[in-house]
Amino acid sequence: MNRIIKVARMQLINKWTFIGIPLLVLACSFLLTLAIWAIVRRAGAEDSVYSGGAQAPMWYFLALGIQALTLTFPFSMAMSVSRRTFYLGTVALFSVCALALSIFYYLMGLVETATSGWGVNGQFFALGWVAENNAVVQIAFYWVLMSLLFMLGFFSATLYMRWRTTGVLLFTISLAVVLLGTVAIITYGDHWPAVGQWLAAWTAGSVTLLGAGLAVVLAGASYLTLRKATA
Amino acid sequence: MSEAPAILTRALSKTYKDVRALDNVNLELPANRIYGLLGRNGAGKTTLMSILTGQNFATEGEAEIFGHTPFEHDPTLSRICFIRESQKYPDDFKASQAFKAAAIFFENWNEELAQDLVRAFNLPVKRRIKKLSRGQLSAVGVIIGMASRAEITFFDEPYLGLDAVARQIFYDRLIEDFAQFPRTIVLSSHLIDEVSNLLEHVIVIDQGRIVINAEAEELQGAAFTVTGNAQKVAQFTAGCKVLHRDALGSLASLTVQGRLSDQQRREAAELGLDLSPVSLQQLVVRSTLNAAADQNGTMEQEARK
Repeated sequence: MNRIIKVARMQLINKWTFIGIPLLVLACSFLLTLAIWAIVRRAGAEDSVYSGGAQAPMWYFLALGIQALTLTFPFSMAMSVSRRTFYLGTVALFSVCALALSIFYYLMGLVETATSGWGVNGQFFALGWVAENNAVVQIAFYWVLMSLLFMLGFFSATLYMRWRTTGVLLFTISLAVVLLGTVAIITYGDHWPAVGQWLAAWTAGSVTLLGAGLAVVLAGASYLTLRKATA
Repeated sequence: MSEAPAILTRALSKTYKDVRALDNVNLELPANRIYGLLGRNGAGKTTLMSILTGQNFATEGEAEIFGHTPFEHDPTLSRICFIRESQKYPDDFKASQAFKAAAIFFENWNEELAQDLVRAFNLPVKRRIKKLSRGQLSAVGVIIGMASRAEITFFDEPYLGLDAVARQIFYDRLIEDFAQFPRTIVLSSHLIDEVSNLLEHVIVIDQGRIVINAEAEELQGAAFTVTGNAQKVAQFTAGCKVLHRDALGSLASLTVQGRLSDQQRREAAELGLDLSPVSLQQLVVRSTLNAAADQNGTMEQEARK
């Protein structure tokens, strides 16, 4: 347990990577959005305005998942850390950071609603489809989404660590083939309307559940792959 | 503490596709000594150390550190420090941050020693590691290895890019610190003469096989060179194991395995032959070349069958 926390401390030695950059990305994305809204209002638009800018830091987590592994894993081996300890420490640290950021999203959403969209009737944090749910679902939704992106990056990086370029190539090609196959089956079977209905029925809650499931599968696959990886 | 040897391997082999990187390696190394792991580039030194530190896996056989398999075993791993020759550091790390991380993980980390070495090596600790020169990069690894004071420390060609002064600093400090804090040190090197004074025990590896596994003292004087009239040299060395043969006209120079007795020395003097000791480096070079020749010989014999 002690060494797991040590891994988290090692990942935090450069605080920019895990904390500084996501906050900076979020702050910039938010301020730029506010500026755009101000310009739009000036131009005379009257409807409420939306922004997907809140997802900006989430995409950074994809890169962070890759970085946390490719850059720090070989070093952690030199620090005599087992793969299991490295894995647990890194994933645990990320989960905590992502949870903190999710709570922050939720709180900012409350502020946003209370200030009637930052005074310009805008939606940045409290997007209707998510914000209509209770606090737990909202926080879980953001948390799962961030974790899923992080695990996606982490998993592809473990593939690289274990089987290098060949592994990543094989995996992406197989994934592309499976996706194409799915599209083909849907198209030839004239299932697109049904798929549309199915997609429309998704709620934030069910997306959270599905995302959590996927994240757990990726987490398990990452661990099994990492266990035999070499620096 | 445990009676188990610091390092133990049984029939350890590692195969990469068609390359036999380690071939039936058997070692039993007691704790608190300085070992030299010598051999050519690609002989298997780094592979052996990677397996001993749980960073890589054996194809066959076993490796134990203090009686435990190191793979994924944190209590054992925490007693080891192994910085690779080509060690990767996080992209944005400065040397000072790498030391900070090492201080977190290595219980015996000595910050004073680390700072002392930083000054001795003139290392810019505020510069990003990826911008350091080869020598400075080696210095980072040397400092982590020394200041960690781990029970078993592996140095993997630690001198690459270091100038002669820096190398001497490393050797001097290593001996100094070892005297104060005895521990098991494995020094992999192909600059054999430079490190030969440090070593208590020498392991020479060639093409994945252990060619020499002996006390450094035993190896000093384990071979000698006889120079003089070819006929007399042949007479003098009859029945000895010849490691190397040089001839120029009627002159011959033979490197022979074995110890000289006083009687032999007198005999050589009477015959007018020159005797000279063989350095550890010469011995290693000759032994590995001979091992290669033997292997080729066997292969040819097998081919003829």
